[in-house]
Amino acid sequence: MSLEEKTADRTSSPRASGVPSAVSTMLIYLRSMGIFALIWYAGAWWIGNPVLLPSPVAVVQSLFSLIASGEVASNAASSLQRLAMGFAGAALIGIPLGLLMGMSRILYALVDPLIELLRPISGIAWIPLGMFILGVGETLPTAIMFYGAFFPIVINTLIGVRSVDERLIQAAKVLGVGRSSIILNVVLPASLPNILVGLRLGAGAAWTAMVAAELIGAPSGLGFAVEWYRELLMTPSVLAFVFLIGLFGYLFDKLLRALQTAITPWANISREVI
Amino acid sequence: METVAIPTKAKISLIAITKQYITPRTGQTTLAVSDVSLNIQQGEFLCIVGPSGCGKSTILSMIAGLTKPSSGTISMDGNAIHGPGRERGVVFQDYALFPWKTVRENIEFGPRFRDRAPLSTAARRELVDHYIELVSLNGSEDKYPHELSGGMRQRCAFARALANEPDVLLMDEPFAALDAQTRLILQEELLRIWGEELPRDKRKTVVFITHGIDEAVFLADRVAVMSNHPGQIKMEKPIGLPRPRNEGVRLTTDFQKLVDEIWQLIRHDAYEATIGKAGIKQA
Ligand SMILES: Nc1ncnc2c1ncn2[C@@H]1O[C@H](COP(=O)(O)OP(=O)(O)OP(=O)(O)O)[C@@H](O)[C@H]1O
Ligand SMILES: [Mg+2]
Repeated sequence: MSLEEKTADRTSSPRASGVPSAVSTMLIYLRSMGIFALIWYAGAWWIGNPVLLPSPVAVVQSLFSLIASGEVASNAASSLQRLAMGFAGAALIGIPLGLLMGMSRILYALVDPLIELLRPISGIAWIPLGMFILGVGETLPTAIMFYGAFFPIVINTLIGVRSVDERLIQAAKVLGVGRSSIILNVVLPASLPNILVGLRLGAGAAWTAMVAAELIGAPSGLGFAVEWYRELLMTPSVLAFVFLIGLFGYLFDKLLRALQTAITPWANISREVI
Repeated sequence: METVAIPTKAKISLIAITKQYITPRTGQTTLAVSDVSLNIQQGEFLCIVGPSGCGKSTILSMIAGLTKPSSGTISMDGNAIHGPGRERGVVFQDYALFPWKTVRENIEFGPRFRDRAPLSTAARRELVDHYIELVSLNGSEDKYPHELSGGMRQRCAFARALANEPDVLLMDEPFAALDAQTRLILQEELLRIWGEELPRDKRKTVVFITHGIDEAVFLADRVAVMSNHPGQIKMEKPIGLPRPRNEGVRLTTDFQKLVDEIWQLIRHDAYEATIGKAGIKQA
């Protein structure tokens, strides 16, 4: 009987402790947001100039009116569309390239110096030249996002392939599994956790670079809106869009993280420990 | 003697095998295995024992086709071995299970993805069910390797090798990481699965590496004792203990005698390998 009780306890305890812990994380989150808002409010009152630093209330008000007018939707849509294009392009080229570089010494020797040379150059550094060549429009921010996402994706895929446990490949070989099947069923899944890390880092880099590109090189988008309202000296709207840039970046990462948990369930343990 | 006279009859035969490793960094060469010749018969259970670093894993890896000998030939059924193949299954010491595959998916990996004669989904299901049953992993089919105990992982690795239906099983210290009780249970289980009760031509051929002399004597038809510097086979000891074997056989004087005899042979090498030459002089 006591044994039964124990097992019952053990299965129910994570659920029981899970709910309060979710609530308490939420409380901690709200508390720190509250403290932040208070400091902001005090700062705005002290500066006393709504163009330099408007109060949080003014920012929230303008956020709502921007949502109501549809400006948020249209600018977010064009930014997210560019993100999707640039990021998808970087993934579609970066992942296969990383896989091939990890498996072929010749390709690695050929491509790696180029990557190492370009990687430290931020996408932002290419914006002036990009404007010169591509002009203001869709292409420049999309290209800059592609550039930002590309390197983390290639490099992490490469790391993933390089760190595949040699034993696992041997295990497949002694089962009589051929080369192409090993690439598909051993190398690829073994590198998947690293590839997903690369995708997350790439998405972050792309989003950062995009805002910079849109500030000067685009006719629409969240970065464009920030610059637009800055010129009109409408600081509450500027801050509202800055907040949205953070929010969307955060949500996209959250989405990729959920994807990570969903498609690499075997890698979850180590993630919980760290 | 007869086996030496007609080497083609052996299931696996190693002729004058030497393996030299070259470390690329220093250019230093290590003679891991030197002039080893060995015949393994169909249905035989051969154990290899020897001090650490004497080349046991190297020999196994060469039979598996994962490492090429520097000189000499290895053949199976009279055909030279050039690479890994489905007919020689391997159970690695660290199991090498695919972490992204469940127990069931690990076990069906060979039948599903091998180049030659992969099985249909239905045939695979039946086969895998059989092996899951055989190694008593029912109820854990859908767990990932990290959710298994050490002994369960071992049995999963074993089932994965068996489900591919190889003629020869190569096992490198498969029980080394397990606790003593689990090891004893799995030893008996291994003999049962190997086909101790079957006639010889129906049994699998097994090459089993171990550090445990009692484990070797309990399992084997023959124990090959290796020595260090260079790695060579010092002696081949037939184990005539009656089969089927069970726990009781360990208590017999024959068993104790065989264990002691082999221990005396490798004692010196074992000390040298673990505590160095100075330690032996003092002892
Ligand atoms: N890839 C390698 N490169 C260089 N030397 C190697 C390599 N693999 C093994 N060796 C050397 O070959 C010798 C035999 O190694 P091996 O792994 O076969 O020993 P072992 O008998 O299996 O030892 P243990 O019982 O400790 O597992 C050792 O001296 C080892 O240092
Ligand atoms: Mg070894």
